[in-house]
Amino acid sequence: MIKNKPLLVAFRLVLGGLFIYAGVVKVLDPLDFAQNIRNYRLVGQSLSFVVAVILPWLEILAGVALAAGIWKRASALIISGLLVFFILLTLITIARGLDIECGCFGALSRRSGFGVILEDLGMLFMGLCLLFAPGRRD
Amino acid sequence: MSETRKIVRQVLVIGALSVLLAAAVHFPLVKRFARGEFRETFLSPTEYPGIRLITIQEAEDLWAAGEAVVFDARLERLFRESHVPRARNLPATESKLKIPPDVLELQRERTLVVYCEGGDCQSSLALAKSLHDEGFEDIRVMTGGWEEWEKAGLPQEKGDDQE
Repeated sequence: MIKNKPLLVAFRLVLGGLFIYAGVVKVLDPLDFAQNIRNYRLVGQSLSFVVAVILPWLEILAGVALAAGIWKRASALIISGLLVFFILLTLITIARGLDIECGCFGALSRRSGFGVILEDLGMLFMGLCLLFAPGRRD
Repeated sequence: MSETRKIVRQVLVIGALSVLLAAAVHFPLVKRFARGEFRETFLSPTEYPGIRLITIQEAEDLWAAGEAVVFDARLERLFRESHVPRARNLPATESKLKIPPDVLELQRERTLVVYCEGGDCQSSLALAKSLHDEGFEDIRVMTGGWEEWEKAGLPQEKGDDQE
């Protein structure tokens, strides 16, 4: 468990910032993100739309809360949960042999593959450190 | 225990706020969805006015008239097994797609028909978008794809590209 306070603050700002960015680019083009979700071929058209409209806001709010240090554990829990979900989704996509964009960062998205999993694992590490960090429970 | 309950409550509040913000900010889009839009494709008619979805029957008529250029967005292996006669293979895996120069030389008014495997395949839409981005004005996506073309007993051809 990491106890170094400045490092934990850096984790909060980096992880929160990344999630805010990821959410904002998706909010700007919800239909494009809906198509990205549809490309995974796991859920239908309607569910893809609903997820594309709500998920970016979840990313933004959790990111803002984490970066600002409000409800740190709750936001770290949401972000870690999302990352576990993204990792599983990417593994399923690789196993199914689909060659698609991950849809993670809007125009900066790239092929859904092991590179994306590594990035997600790095972010998950930060998320879990923050979730289980010692200190005042707010 | 109360700590866990507090975190769960906060997670639920963030979730509920996300739903509210999504509904408020995307209200016009949600209204269009409620009216029945985006049930077949997420292509916005204002953004992609040149792309239309067509049935197998319409695709067959266009193909039979010989005026449309047909593109098969499936993988090369599947294309070689069998495809719509005279179709060009442009495997449109969503992560990378380049339109070959000879296709770019086609007149932008030409009618283009694109298809993929069928079912919930999405690569024909990706190809249609790329063609639209290159300036093509009349792109028809054959919903039902190869699966329904084959099921309908329509003509087939084996082997590599004919063009």
